[in-house]
Amino acid sequence: MKKIDVNCLVGNWPFRKIRKITFNDLKSIHEVNNMEYGYVSSLNSIFYNDPFEGDQDLHEIIKGTPYKHVLTVNPELPWFIDDIEEGIKLFDIKGVRIYPGYHGYTLDNQPVERLCRILAEKKLPLFITIRMEDERLNYLFQPRGIDKAELSHFLESHPENTVILLSIRYGEIMNIKDIINSRRNVFVDTSGFKDLLFIIEKLTKVVDHRKILYGSNHPLYCMKSTILLVEKAEVDSSVKEDIFYNNVRNILG
Amino acid sequence: MLIDIHAHIWGGTIEENKSEIIKACELYNISKVYISGIRSHYPDKDEIDYLNYEVYKFIKEQPERIGGFCYVNPVHDNCMDVLRKGIEDYHMEGMKLWVATFCNDPRVFPLVEKCIDYNIPVLVHAFKKTVGQLEYETVGTHVADLASRYPEARLIMAHLGGNAYHGVKCIKKYKNVWVDFSGSIFRRDDLDYTVEQIGVERIVFGTDMVGSFLVNYGQVEEANLTPEEKEMIYYKNALKVLHG
Repeated sequence: MKKIDVNCLVGNWPFRKIRKITFNDLKSIHEVNNMEYGYVSSLNSIFYNDPFEGDQDLHEIIKGTPYKHVLTVNPELPWFIDDIEEGIKLFDIKGVRIYPGYHGYTLDNQPVERLCRILAEKKLPLFITIRMEDERLNYLFQPRGIDKAELSHFLESHPENTVILLSIRYGEIMNIKDIINSRRNVFVDTSGFKDLLFIIEKLTKVVDHRKILYGSNHPLYCMKSTILLVEKAEVDSSVKEDIFYNNVRNILG
Repeated sequence: MLIDIHAHIWGGTIEENKSEIIKACELYNISKVYISGIRSHYPDKDEIDYLNYEVYKFIKEQPERIGGFCYVNPVHDNCMDVLRKGIEDYHMEGMKLWVATFCNDPRVFPLVEKCIDYNIPVLVHAFKKTVGQLEYETVGTHVADLASRYPEARLIMAHLGGNAYHGVKCIKKYKNVWVDFSGSIFRRDDLDYTVEQIGVERIVFGTDMVGSFLVNYGQVEEANLTPEEKEMIYYKNALKVLHG
């Protein structure tokens, strides 16, 4: 079964040693798991004062491969729109990824409004990182959480944007399932699915399976775990194919 | 063969949990699951009685697949009798401590001494948290203290102590402590890190079902382990910790 990983990263993580930090590591594990390519972001860019420097490095690493570049943006930085323009021109970016928890802003602030306008204009999807680590396991720094009210309000206010919610948990999806089902362009990835037995089976009963995209959050999370959640699910094989491959192709090309 | 050393039925959803666990055994080829019943953080005597009885019933219904850990609240004056009943009458094979006291609370000592007499392991919930730490929630340092006091006890520190980078080094020098990596933590590197710190011999497979299973199975499959090392984690180490 062909697969695409909508949530993968390359680079260093400052809080603990990551053993699979290189692009070759990512490609190897993708190959082993029959993954054609991934939507990849720079881990370094999350922490760089100028995130674009991390993205320049990422571009040098992934150029000429089937991997799609997702640009890291902190909309609190005054020149972020220039970065997006440059990212489109230089890196052929396929989306923009934000980290409100790490960069310390809420989704209802003015810069995020501007970001949404430009992404709608450019027809680029917005990847929203709900979390990078289990909140209980954070070290040194506690990122701000994004609650139901903030997320609901954001999604209701930006119907024009294609939004992919990364590392969102089952309970959080339940909280906003009506919005996910009613909006044609809101999606979730699988990387946050860890709290229940038979989670794909349960989720697809309440959320349209076409809204679920395979994403690993590798190298922070274990890729095999999320692959198995889909592969072993007692759902029709066409549903698995959609989650692993077809949904991403339909949405992101 | 695959032995899950750490799973639960939850008061309030027991029948639902039981059928999910049996379904998981069938779908994922799990040979045996060791269950304890839990519900509230600070259970009273009736709740403990009820949960252990439900586990006993489950063992009777599925003797090939289900084993039991006797859940004890060390605060209760009848806790020694609860342990006796669990092991002798209900044929449970270990003792489970959760969050009612730290595991090195003096009220735990006679229970651990009895477990040594019975030659059974003690499964200790341990979770170091950045947010939401409970008042008496055990962390790695408490497990280390208990291990040092009772070197002849066989202790299983659950969840790698929550945050592996906190818990595992705490128990590193205590060879009578095993760890499980059960629960909803699925960081890619936790298992590799743990093997580097304490070796593969002291890691047992646990899931925290009905919370998860494939997440933990995937961690073993992806870790930097030989097929022989995976077998040790999947069941061989569990046999040693269960039977000594």
